[in-house]
Amino acid sequence: MTVDRILGVGAILTAIPVAAAAWGFGVGSPKSPGAGFWPLLIVATMGGLGVWLIVHPSRDGVAAAAPESRWGRLWIALGTMVFYVAALDRLGFPLATVLLLLVQLRWVEGRPWRSSVGIAVLATLLSFVLFRVLLKVPLPAGVIPLPRGW
Amino acid sequence: MDTIGSLFHGFAVALTPGNLLAVLVGSIVGTVIGVLPGLGPTASIALLLPVTIGMDMVPALIMLAGIYYGAMYGGSTTSILVNIPGEAASVVTCIDGYQMAREGRAGAALGMSAFGSFVGGTVSVVAVMLISPFLAETALKFGAPEMFALLFFAFTCIGGLTGKSRARGLLMACVGLLLGTIGTDDIQGVDRFVFGTLYLRDGIGLVPLAMGLFGMGEILYNIEKREKAGSVLETPKSLLPTLQDWKDSTWPMLRGSALGFGIGVLPGGMPAVASLLSYAVEKRVAKRPERFGRGAIEGVAGPETANNAATAGGFVPLLTLGIPTNSVLALMLAAMMLHGVTPGPLLLLKWPDVFWGVIASMYIGNAMLLVLNLPMIGLFVQILKVPYAILSPLIVMFVLLGAYALNNSVTDVLATIVFGIAGYLMKRFKIEPAPLVLAFVLGPMLENNLSKALIMARGDAIPFFFGRPIAATLLTLAILVLFYPVARAGWRWAAKGRLA
Repeated sequence: MTVDRILGVGAILTAIPVAAAAWGFGVGSPKSPGAGFWPLLIVATMGGLGVWLIVHPSRDGVAAAAPESRWGRLWIALGTMVFYVAALDRLGFPLATVLLLLVQLRWVEGRPWRSSVGIAVLATLLSFVLFRVLLKVPLPAGVIPLPRGW
Repeated sequence: MDTIGSLFHGFAVALTPGNLLAVLVGSIVGTVIGVLPGLGPTASIALLLPVTIGMDMVPALIMLAGIYYGAMYGGSTTSILVNIPGEAASVVTCIDGYQMAREGRAGAALGMSAFGSFVGGTVSVVAVMLISPFLAETALKFGAPEMFALLFFAFTCIGGLTGKSRARGLLMACVGLLLGTIGTDDIQGVDRFVFGTLYLRDGIGLVPLAMGLFGMGEILYNIEKREKAGSVLETPKSLLPTLQDWKDSTWPMLRGSALGFGIGVLPGGMPAVASLLSYAVEKRVAKRPERFGRGAIEGVAGPETANNAATAGGFVPLLTLGIPTNSVLALMLAAMMLHGVTPGPLLLLKWPDVFWGVIASMYIGNAMLLVLNLPMIGLFVQILKVPYAILSPLIVMFVLLGAYALNNSVTDVLATIVFGIAGYLMKRFKIEPAPLVLAFVLGPMLENNLSKALIMARGDAIPFFFGRPIAATLLTLAILVLFYPVARAGWRWAAKGRLA
């Protein structure tokens, strides 16, 4: 199945429930369009384009797959980002960021331990000073006690 | 005379120490971003938007504009020295630029690309200055039907100019339009597709969307599929092109300026399209086209001029009509709105400091880049030697931090990651994200003007639209753009039938 055909099927499958929801918002009339008029117009076009892509797909394929080892790194990278979202408010910016950088440098990029720890700590410190102290962005400090005035 | 007077006023604004510093920082940051593969101008501007919130309006916009055209300068360095384009507009520079470098002519290629960028940027800024006031005055006469017709025309152009498949581009634009409907409807006050969440009632933010699709998507793709870089060549000793190089490059630079500006003004006119077209034109008009691909300097001078000319050209529709023609300019629009400025025909009247200040800063920035870039090539070569394995996690951190700093909200960080996964998949499936982002920005404007125009039409929409000359012309153009490929396919099919 070509990319265009997958997109076409996806467009039609998306268009159906969205059209139903848009109908629920109230379509109105051409004299006085309702809140559902515009979304309905969009999904009608999407459906049409979906059919067109299924009937006339281009031959463009998917970019070549990566070796298996890099897939694992991709999952680790995504996992650390999701962890970061969950940990930012609880652990605070400094600790969550050091952990994010450490995992990415050591296990995603394969850097040696020493440079991973050094870069993670230094980059976190510099970005914390830049954003929290200089730009006054209220980054959560979390479990790390801050110097007075920070 | 009025324009000249206004330009002097612009220079008075741009030459204040704070604004000069903004030009300098923007140009240098932009160049470094252009040099670094894996972080394009869209992601970088999205990333730096939160940083500019605390700044005054004029220096913030001057700095962001500097990042944009600075990135166009910097992008050529990696193309020539490593055979990896720093950003999309420098892809074609790899073809002849890298060949020149392999023949020991990296200095001439880098020098000519910097001069070409300067010429393209400057010619284009002059054109922006001359055309914008006239266009803004015309646009003041636009009502909702004309505005809808103009936006609709822009929308039809997006699908065609940004990718191989027009239908795919238009489908992505529809997805962008649909994402733009999320939130409370402006006219009726109805919540659409919010799924009971407070976050979605305000709509999806442009910055998490752009940062995710462009920045995070690119990083995830690079983690999965690390491309092997060519070896970094040594810093060239001289950057001055020879007399013959100048002779060969003069006409390509002039053609590139005109072509680039024309493309930049058009909706969907990405600098990448301008450089690609310029390369094709130069190859076609060359006396010895077989030299292209083997180190022809015209193949560097033309495209590098064109992409910078397109960059400045894109500011015409943004500043005078409030219509961004590519994703970077969509973010510039967001930046202006963050600072309380509404781009459009009234910009010149209400905020002359912003308009003329930004224009004048572009003159200064182009000159600054020419002076700074040539001696700084050595430094850029050193930056290129920093392993991507170190840069990639740092970019991830800045993307996530930038997303948080926008509203101090973890939900924005989550949204950036979700759009990052979407951006990664789009890259993997060779789907261009720019139409989606542009349509996301144009969508609410399109809906608003369509609703107003339909209410004005009182049920007779078609005679109403086609009874107004400007709206009729723009809608006819849009229909032609939209159905040209279908008509062309029909003619080919008919011609095939006749031959058979």
